[in-house]
Amino acid sequence: MLTMNNISKVFQTDEVQTHALRDFHLKVNEGDFISVTGPSGSGKTTFLNIAGLLENFTSGTFMLDDIDISKLNDRGRSKTRNEKIGFIFQSFNLIPDLNLYDNVDVPLRYQGLSSKERKKRIVHHLEMVGLGSRMKHLPSQLSGGQQQRVAIARALATNPRFLLADEPTGNLDTQMAKSVMALLEEINQQGTTIIMVTHDDDLANRATRKIQIKDGRVSELDVVSDRANSKIKATEEAIA
Amino acid sequence: MQELGLIFRALLRNKVGALLISLQIALTLTIMVNAIFMMQQRSEQMLRPSGLDEANIFYLSNTVFAQDYNQQVYLEDDLALLRQTDGVVDAIQINAIPMSGGGWSMGLQTEAGEDKDSTGVAVYMVDDHAINAMGLELLAGENFSQTDIEWRASSQNNWPAKTIISKAMAESLFPDDWQSALGKTAYINQAEPMQITGIVKALQAPWNGWSGVERSMLVPYKMETTGGRFMIRTEAGRRDELMPIIEKALSESNKGRIIRRVTTMDDTRERSYRGHNAVNKILTSVIAVLTLITGFGIVGLAMFSINRRTKQIGTRRALGATKGQIMSFFMIENLMISSFGVLLGVAGAIGLNIWLVSTFSMAPITPGLILTGVIVLFVVGQIAVLYPAMKAAKISPAIATRTA
Ligand SMILES: Nc1ncnc2c1ncn2[C@@H]1O[C@H](COP(=O)(O)OP(=O)(O)OP(=O)(O)O)[C@@H](O)[C@H]1O
Ligand SMILES: [Mg+2]
Repeated sequence: MLTMNNISKVFQTDEVQTHALRDFHLKVNEGDFISVTGPSGSGKTTFLNIAGLLENFTSGTFMLDDIDISKLNDRGRSKTRNEKIGFIFQSFNLIPDLNLYDNVDVPLRYQGLSSKERKKRIVHHLEMVGLGSRMKHLPSQLSGGQQQRVAIARALATNPRFLLADEPTGNLDTQMAKSVMALLEEINQQGTTIIMVTHDDDLANRATRKIQIKDGRVSELDVVSDRANSKIKATEEAIA
Repeated sequence: MQELGLIFRALLRNKVGALLISLQIALTLTIMVNAIFMMQQRSEQMLRPSGLDEANIFYLSNTVFAQDYNQQVYLEDDLALLRQTDGVVDAIQINAIPMSGGGWSMGLQTEAGEDKDSTGVAVYMVDDHAINAMGLELLAGENFSQTDIEWRASSQNNWPAKTIISKAMAESLFPDDWQSALGKTAYINQAEPMQITGIVKALQAPWNGWSGVERSMLVPYKMETTGGRFMIRTEAGRRDELMPIIEKALSESNKGRIIRRVTTMDDTRERSYRGHNAVNKILTSVIAVLTLITGFGIVGLAMFSINRRTKQIGTRRALGATKGQIMSFFMIENLMISSFGVLLGVAGAIGLNIWLVSTFSMAPITPGLILTGVIVLFVVGQIAVLYPAMKAAKISPAIATRTA
């Protein structure tokens, strides 16, 4: 459903060429929870941006649900992003001028849904992330963990096939990181495919697949602990 | 369009800049509409016909210095010379020039008596050639005959028996039916009767700022004066050629006077409305500058708010906004700011006009003009925000992950 073959990405500035990705292969299956690790500057964000159609790639083929992405124009990519992909960002990227309700509403408005349908989805997803009672609050009135939950609600409200997260817990303390991670696992179990970049090995190990990017090249790692183990671990930590 | 509510609520959280621009738009509209209105009124005044065949008329002054100057004989000589010159249609002696700013006014009334209302009127002392020499159109009655013309000594105070008046004067004296003025007696100097024997379509007074500028009368007089004027009408297109010829011929025919100030009616009109033209130019500049400042203000605010919201715009793109949707976000935001400004501006424009009407007895503004101003400012706003909006649309969605 998401296949990258031979993808390369070259950033060309006035004097330097940066090969952010080279010879990149990846096949993502429905229901995967893939964690992406690697050193700083290795190309993780570049990979995620290409997978999320935020950036163009230099060469190679990228198929998303049988759509050849290189054939889409800007408008087509925007529509595909809107319909198939949900984003979670390290710094949440909520719109500071809008309350939680309106923030979740933003991508739904681009879909042109009826206000009744939008309302249903907004309320449902905000309740799902435990913020049903704060809908009129502004992002600045929430903690980081709560803001990230709103971002997750916003990403899920469009019912995307993929959830792409670039260090979603990078700005959160351990406790909040864990609860966000637990939420992502829950979402994955309900069928959404997740690709998550993280620096945290513990979190990375809770995914169903682990890939590592080094110098723009990808390699698949064995999953250290299977999902059952990570579940137990999470529960133990929660009790402790 | 889908984002209407979101744009509005976000705007309410960033009121200050938007409010300042709104006020600027309001002020611009207020001033623009009233200034254009004043310009229109001036332009209308400038377009009023004087009643004369202006393009082919010039005049000159005849200043006598000789002691033994026979006024009556020399006037007849001069008029004969002028009227015989090849290319001259007709010529007259006249006491004042329309639009020139200097002249003579009297009051006419339909009933004799000190206690009766009189209507102000400009007086032109001329002979039976006046209608032809000025190019006037006689609507009713008849021209003076040669026997109607009387000599007038320099400080004589009685009035001839007949007068020809302008239609506007007839309407003032007989508001129900201007045509009924013909043959009626009007009283000058409260009690001296003059019979109205003709009505001309138009003949303006010498003062363009006077509310009675269209009211005038012709009085059949030849003047014994040391400072007279001649008005000369030429065949079409021959005015400029004849001006120096006639100046020279008059100067040489009689050495007891000097011929000065040879002036065309075109120049007189130009000088008469120079103030109007200057004010209109100033008002035009004021409107242009104000509109430009407002336009740049809108550009500035939009650029500022786009720079401030770069990450937010990238995020919207990441969430699926097309370039078109980003552009329309800023265009619609501008429409909202403009709408508020324009709403205040309409109130301001009407308010200022009410004040102008009551203070300077100006005419009230027309709704069409206000509507035009509103449309102009909406268009200016949309044009001003176009470039910033295009810049915003170019912000890469990758900004969403690439900025902290
Ligand atoms: N817009 C750009 N122009 C030029 N070079 C870029 C650009 N974006 C990224 N790069 C370069 O591409 C390489 C990969 O960057 P990328 O952001 O993908 O790394 P990363 O793995 O996400 O790093 P980090 O863990 O620090 O977030 C880096 O060398 C980076 O400097
Ligand atoms: Mg990164």
